[in-house]
Amino acid sequence: MKRYVLGKVVFAIPLLIIITFLAFGLNHLSPVEPAEAVLHAQGVPEITKELIAETREKLGMNDPFLFRYGSWLLDCLRLDFGSSYVTGLPVWSQLGPAFLNTLKLTLVSMAAIVGLSIALGVGSALREGRLLDKGIRGAAFLLTSMPPYWLATLMIWYFSVKLDLLPTSGMDAWQSYILPVAIITISYAGIYFRVIRSSMLGNLNEDYVLYARANGLLELLVTKHILRNSLQVAVSVFGMAIPVILGSTVVVENLFAWPGLGSLSVRAILSRDYPVIQAYVLILAVTFVFFNTLSDIVNAAMNPKARMDR
Amino acid sequence: MTKKTIYLLTLAALAIMLLAACSANSTNSGGATFNGSYSPQNASSSGADPAGSAANESTHPAAQELTYATAKDINDINPHLYAGSIPATGMVFESLVENTKDGIKPLLAESWDISPDGKSYTFHLRKGVTFHDGAPFNAEAVKKNIEAVQANAAKHAWIKLSAKIAAIHALDEHTVQLDLTEAYYPALLELAMTRPYAFISPNDFKNGGTRDGVTGYNGTGPYRLVEHKTDQYAVFEANESYWGEAPHLSKITAKVLPAGETTLLALKKGEVNFIFTDDRGADSIDVQAMNQLAEDQNYQIVRSQAMNTKIIAANSSKSDSPVAEKAVREALWQSIDRETISMDIFSGTELPAESLFSSNVNYADIGLGKREYNPEAAIRLLEEAGWKSDSRSGIRSKNGRALSVKLYYDAASPSQKTQAEFIQSTAKTAGIGLELVGEESSSLAKRRATGDYELLFNQTWGLAYDPQSTISAFTAESSYLHTTKGIHQADELYGKINEVMVSKDEQSRQALYREILTIVHDEAVFIPLTNGIVTIIAPKDLKHISFKQTQYELPFEKMGFQ
Repeated sequence: MKRYVLGKVVFAIPLLIIITFLAFGLNHLSPVEPAEAVLHAQGVPEITKELIAETREKLGMNDPFLFRYGSWLLDCLRLDFGSSYVTGLPVWSQLGPAFLNTLKLTLVSMAAIVGLSIALGVGSALREGRLLDKGIRGAAFLLTSMPPYWLATLMIWYFSVKLDLLPTSGMDAWQSYILPVAIITISYAGIYFRVIRSSMLGNLNEDYVLYARANGLLELLVTKHILRNSLQVAVSVFGMAIPVILGSTVVVENLFAWPGLGSLSVRAILSRDYPVIQAYVLILAVTFVFFNTLSDIVNAAMNPKARMDR
Repeated sequence: MTKKTIYLLTLAALAIMLLAACSANSTNSGGATFNGSYSPQNASSSGADPAGSAANESTHPAAQELTYATAKDINDINPHLYAGSIPATGMVFESLVENTKDGIKPLLAESWDISPDGKSYTFHLRKGVTFHDGAPFNAEAVKKNIEAVQANAAKHAWIKLSAKIAAIHALDEHTVQLDLTEAYYPALLELAMTRPYAFISPNDFKNGGTRDGVTGYNGTGPYRLVEHKTDQYAVFEANESYWGEAPHLSKITAKVLPAGETTLLALKKGEVNFIFTDDRGADSIDVQAMNQLAEDQNYQIVRSQAMNTKIIAANSSKSDSPVAEKAVREALWQSIDRETISMDIFSGTELPAESLFSSNVNYADIGLGKREYNPEAAIRLLEEAGWKSDSRSGIRSKNGRALSVKLYYDAASPSQKTQAEFIQSTAKTAGIGLELVGEESSSLAKRRATGDYELLFNQTWGLAYDPQSTISAFTAESSYLHTTKGIHQADELYGKINEVMVSKDEQSRQALYREILTIVHDEAVFIPLTNGIVTIIAPKDLKHISFKQTQYELPFEKMGFQ
């Protein structure tokens, strides 16, 4: 098991290097003059050629591409992500709090998604083809096909303004989590419960279920076994959902004025704030690798066969 | 690690980078491309001050507190740089003088003398003024601040004074002398702007200056910044030791609300009770919803006078383009229905504009000829200029060249896109083919600076900066040089612009401005669309709502609840 985990981690390192190199290279190919974009983002009213030249020099943009990538990589190894081109502040002082805010939102949402998906998935699989199943699938279909932006506006109007129960936006208290978490949960649980449902249905027809029932096992115990086997697929899916949500909260953050990673990254991309963009890509890549490895390990722990396969 | 993971990771990285490489939209910046922004202090009470005393608990939670919604964080409000929110900077920092509708008035300088050659300004500073950190505001502080600004001159190219300051001397504790390299009449106007010649406590300097940032935000203004949570809110409290009349509102909070929908709902709920549209915010608030708020709840809507002009800049120096021809520019001018744009696209929140500057701009009330919406006249102009109609495509042509022109707009501004489409349809009836290209604002700025455009949405700098800053920009390569270079009196025009900036008497200045404005009006290189105004939504019982001589700031210190 130890060796298995170690292998995973070692494999992740070249992967991260490739990703950051790609990000760096693609940035480099962008037709927009980065010094100009940075000055624009700083609000400088008249950007002269001299100022662009001065800024390029100051930010080290005149150095060769590979040299810049190399020194960035070395700094990263020392956990120094550099300073934002636009604000001059250390990247980590901006990205750190935003990452934590988005992570909090993501983890709470994830808990809700897992709980809801399992409940709905098991419920609809056990009542396949009946009213409950149809009802759940219909409702999920309806809710997931609503644009989150629109649904969120409606929910803010109803719960915050009309009923006056929750704040419209911000992250001041625990109540602030309810609406954004609900929106994210609706968008994802409606899809993920199907994974559970279909793998439950697949397992229901397995021989071991037939034998278990033939042996007169309690139906509750049978369901437990089915669920345990069905969850293996779900673990990988859920594991990957965390980084996916982490990287796609822009709309929800914008609408709920959530000071997170989404709005920060879009702003950095538009102002060509390369140190921030690079750090963002790195963070996201690391979380992808981390959660993927984690779900592989959990799977391996749950099923010895998965360990042998590789 | 599965294949799927690698695939997902690569896909995610690619998606992010594609966005970086060719993104065509931006979350901020709504209005016309980009623009100056920076501006003076105080006071024209052009706004209405409607009565209506229905008090409402929900719109102002505690007495004398205001919470306004802002689309963006106030950011770094270092007054010597440009990244911060201008309304916030204006609350905290002050300049030597202020620009009012009655001209330049004293602020931190009580009085001033100008030497006969116009090259030396002596300011007598107000006594007993302190920065928020207790440091004295004196000649030494003024000298240090102005030197800190000058040390970063490359970033202040837009403010021509920055290139003309030769030296600053502290004559005694309360007197400073500013020496210029040549006479420059807008010197006081430019000193009045919110940035960069505003004063911050020298204790906040970093590395002996401000160009690398500041360590605090202690100004002399009516409000102190007491708390700032990035991307959440900023809290300002009244400065109890303010030298002027104490502000009525004791606390002002700027709450970050990026989405217009949420802003309206937060207003309805009373979480925020004040919004105003600067040039960026106008697009994000639904006008109908705004009117509804004013009808149903205890809100009032207050609108300013004309603050700036939205224009289409035509590149007269692009000799291979039809827009290099005056007749084409005039025809386009006459094929734009400004009334409809004002009423239907802006629901009356912008007014039709007939010339580059509205008549309330200094020196601009000179009765220039109107070119009204008149498709027949446009057709006549084109026919006379030899552009023959082509019944098949509907687009005119001359010597085998089609009358087809590219119009660039800011892809992040829905109102610009709608206007572009509307103008495209009316221009078509005159036989002008417009090809619409939406781009992100920094790329539009680059086109303007390099002359790589035919028609471009833009806007004048705004009341405090017009006409002098916008007109100076006619000669600046990164601004309107390409727009004006192609007209045949270009050299004459530039000569007059240089002359007006150093002119010493009011009469010759008026005459010169009249000539300058007449040339660009006749040549139709700046095609006016609408005049932008500032709209405020505030609780009904908030009194003394007024505006400054700029669309970027509000005189919060004058407002108060009864």
